[in-house]
Amino acid sequence: MGRWSHSQLSMDEGHVTHGGTVTLSNALCSHSQTEMATTEVERRRGQLAALSIAAVVIIVGVPLWWRTTETYRAWLPVSQIKEFATLQLLLSVDVEVVFSRGTVSPEQQKKVPMTQTQDEEHRVDENTALKYRYEIRYRTATIMEEDALKQPTASDADLSLHALSENPCGSLVVYVIPESSSLLSEDVDVYIGQKRTAILRLGAQMRVGRTLEQLLAHLEPRIKKILHMMSFSHTDITAALSDRVRLAPGNRENIVDSMRAFKSSPGYEITFSLLNPDPKSHRLHWDIESAVETYVQPLLTKLAPIANFSIDSQTLYYAMLGVNPRFDISRSSYTLNAESLAHVINPVEARLGSNAASSNPVLNFLLYVPDALHSPLHILDRKKQAVHSNAFHSPRWGGIMVYNVNDVYGPEAVLPVDININMAKVMGVFLAQLRLLLGVQSSSPPPGFVVASCSSTGLADWELDRLMWSRSVENVATATTTITSLAQLLDQIGNIVINDNIAEQVSSAVTSLQLAVAELEAGNLGFALQYSKEAILASERAFFDPSLLHLLYFPDDQKFAIYIPLFLPMCVPILLSLIKIASDARQKRREKQAKKD
Amino acid sequence: MAAPLTLLFLLAVTVRAALFNSSLKELISDRVEVVSPLTAWKRVIEGLALLDLGVSPYSGDVFHETPLVIYLFHFVVDYAEVTFMLADLITAGCLYMAVKDYNKQVFRKQKFALEADRYPLDCLELIRSPKEMHYIPLKVAMFYLLNPFTILSCVARSTCCLNNAVIALFILSTIKGNLLLSAVFLSLATYQCLYPLVLVAPALLYLLQHQYIPVNFRRPNFWWLVAQYLFMFGGSLLVVVCLSFFLLGSWDFLSSVYGFILSVPDLTPNIGLFWYFFAEMFEHFRLFFLCVFQINVFFYTIPLSLKLKDHPVFLIFMQLSIISIFKSYPTVGDSALYLSFLPVWTHLHRFLRNIFLVSCLLLASSLLFPVLWHLWIYAGSANSNFYYAITLVFNVAQILLVSDYFYAFLRREHHLTYGLYLKRKDGSEAAMVLK
Repeated sequence: MGRWSHSQLSMDEGHVTHGGTVTLSNALCSHSQTEMATTEVERRRGQLAALSIAAVVIIVGVPLWWRTTETYRAWLPVSQIKEFATLQLLLSVDVEVVFSRGTVSPEQQKKVPMTQTQDEEHRVDENTALKYRYEIRYRTATIMEEDALKQPTASDADLSLHALSENPCGSLVVYVIPESSSLLSEDVDVYIGQKRTAILRLGAQMRVGRTLEQLLAHLEPRIKKILHMMSFSHTDITAALSDRVRLAPGNRENIVDSMRAFKSSPGYEITFSLLNPDPKSHRLHWDIESAVETYVQPLLTKLAPIANFSIDSQTLYYAMLGVNPRFDISRSSYTLNAESLAHVINPVEARLGSNAASSNPVLNFLLYVPDALHSPLHILDRKKQAVHSNAFHSPRWGGIMVYNVNDVYGPEAVLPVDININMAKVMGVFLAQLRLLLGVQSSSPPPGFVVASCSSTGLADWELDRLMWSRSVENVATATTTITSLAQLLDQIGNIVINDNIAEQVSSAVTSLQLAVAELEAGNLGFALQYSKEAILASERAFFDPSLLHLLYFPDDQKFAIYIPLFLPMCVPILLSLIKIASDARQKRREKQAKKD
Repeated sequence: MAAPLTLLFLLAVTVRAALFNSSLKELISDRVEVVSPLTAWKRVIEGLALLDLGVSPYSGDVFHETPLVIYLFHFVVDYAEVTFMLADLITAGCLYMAVKDYNKQVFRKQKFALEADRYPLDCLELIRSPKEMHYIPLKVAMFYLLNPFTILSCVARSTCCLNNAVIALFILSTIKGNLLLSAVFLSLATYQCLYPLVLVAPALLYLLQHQYIPVNFRRPNFWWLVAQYLFMFGGSLLVVVCLSFFLLGSWDFLSSVYGFILSVPDLTPNIGLFWYFFAEMFEHFRLFFLCVFQINVFFYTIPLSLKLKDHPVFLIFMQLSIISIFKSYPTVGDSALYLSFLPVWTHLHRFLRNIFLVSCLLLASSLLFPVLWHLWIYAGSANSNFYYAITLVFNVAQILLVSDYFYAFLRREHHLTYGLYLKRKDGSEAAMVLK
């Protein structure tokens, strides 16, 4: 009881002296010792707590931050990619020149060099050089080949020669026949076969008194010409390099030619669409499936090494052209002139739709059957002449054919009229357009050349070779630019994460590119195309990988915006308490020193 | 005291039974504030259905409760409502007994301190009297049972009620000084939702204090007790996990429960801070901030344990509130548990600075949750930012509340050492500065 009153008393004292002079009671004095101790303990606890927070932040937080937010950059073969900045392509072609009987004398035969290599160098621009190597092998014809060449016509000879041997992709055989041979008609010097053979007739001046040197010198330019026709010409190759090299504004024809064909791609979608704007009058039937099977599929099978194709077809009703055709009284038909054709496609295209699942380019082939009121419809060329095929094509887009049906039925016919479309006629046009759009060259042969008519596949072997040469070069050019620009981009922007899969793609693209270049040098066209396709696929996949974009637009100053709101409030008290601890420690040391002194 | 407690229990059961039989039941059990992907009753039912079909309940991405819970409900699914009510009553009963015991100890300690003349003379008004402490246990039970948050989670049949019951059992056995039971219940609570792991520190501190062993790293008996406790805790955790493995026959549940808690793949809005943040997060920083957010929950354990070394029960309260604020899928049921401790700290009220503001904020945000949810999801006139703003307000209010109590507690302790009316050396009135 006494204790309670005592403390009560001292409390009262406290009240009395409140704000006045300090009169420490005995009781309070007795506390001062423990007080000091508890103060010290509390202080130490506070310091420990602050230290532990700082320790966790430093020991756990900083490494964690470092580890989890570092931009992962997988290793890229940069030095190898840099080598692609300067591209030196060497294209080599094997040519076999076969002398038939009567072209070389037996003495000369022995002297004929076995092989001869000719190099031709072109510098396209400061970073790109092209080198063509023609490896020409000479031999005389075997007995069987002599027999084959004795056939009455060139095409027969061509066929029997094929039966004798199979030439690898990218190589050529030139049979030299004497001037007196009756195989080729008077004005024809060169016959180009369906496969990879050509028959060359010696010129008249070579008949008598020639030496072997003269003969070879005579042959050389002609063989070059055949090579340019059957494998590649410098213009083709430079056009194929357009992705890499800015072409000098050369002649217009070349540019138009090079821009017509689709860019090289590992796959294409082909869509055949039948546009029926007037289903009330015409009930159209087209047997597209068997037509594709008969006419298109053989060509595509042959083109399989170049790319994968997928075909679909559709019928669109009430699909109108974007242009109103004009009625031409002199022709008593409606006409579309060349200038207005440009406006035809866009309104139709909106309705075509496309395969959303693939990013391959789409080749559209439209068969337009004009409505009964606007029939017949003819397409006029720039000279105001009706186009024979009644079709036109748009570069890198597809082709449109107008198919008039007004003469199939008379005025008294009951509508709607059932109409079967003549697919042979349609497909003839579409195939020609398809060849153009895929870049199968059909430039007219130089004078004195005769080209064998296409077989059922619609594509001669040498045409395929030509396409493969230019596609390989194009793929290599595109892949090198893609991969070098990707490397440049990644080098410039350090924020981009490079995942392992991207590094893998880049490496595989680089390897494939090296292989493709090596195969081109070795003259293995098939492998070269295969590798170049792999290279382009891998490089595009790496370039367009979405993971590259994550941090692309994520500059450093935005990082402050991310960190500051969360961490600044946290850091200030920690830092302050750490500073306080440090200053306390310093003061203590100073006091100690003072005591020592 | 038995009669008012019985009355309280009856009242609580009546309210719950009435709500269980009303049409509100379905409405409540769909509220994102009340159920989380971890605790939703619908998901438990789905898991049960999968289990009955012989499929692993963790196949698919619906069920994330622990195997023991699903096996519990495998047997009592028909009495689910009774189970949840029982869980609430157990929680309330445990808290009641625990607080009663704790108050006894507090009073005894205070008496010793008074007798040892350890308090300054002007601190008499801070001394607690048995009269005011008499009703605290009952108030705690009432705060838990009649808290709308608890009622809502019980009616929604959120398994959060079971977790609360386990934690309450842990608190009771710790306060009773039972080493084994404390470790077992703590391991069960950890097994249920991982975060109660941080309660190891206060439990150890309390048990050390209970056995009069000072926290001294050089004393073998200190290490002996720590080792004992940790061994029992680890052992029972291992037993429970292995039991789950043997029940299910696969380790699926580890990634599906703990992986789900830690990596936060489900960004359904809730009252926590995670969902909005990680929905907006740049993918590149996700892992880093995930670690930061998860470490945040465990971060305060060491400094708080250092600071509150002598007050483990207050430390339990602090840790519970930190868990319920910063955990990855919080529900109002988690908050209810630590809120029910508030009556224990009534003696701190004179030091609380912004209790009015905080209660207004808590009340307003609780009411605004459903309103803004409706505006966002159904009316379409608001967006996620509105809802997140309210979760921010709610959490800031909780943080304010907890830090207010923390500060008040420290201040009271300070006053108990230095006297209520602080003076500088020159005698002028001194102001307290929180350092």
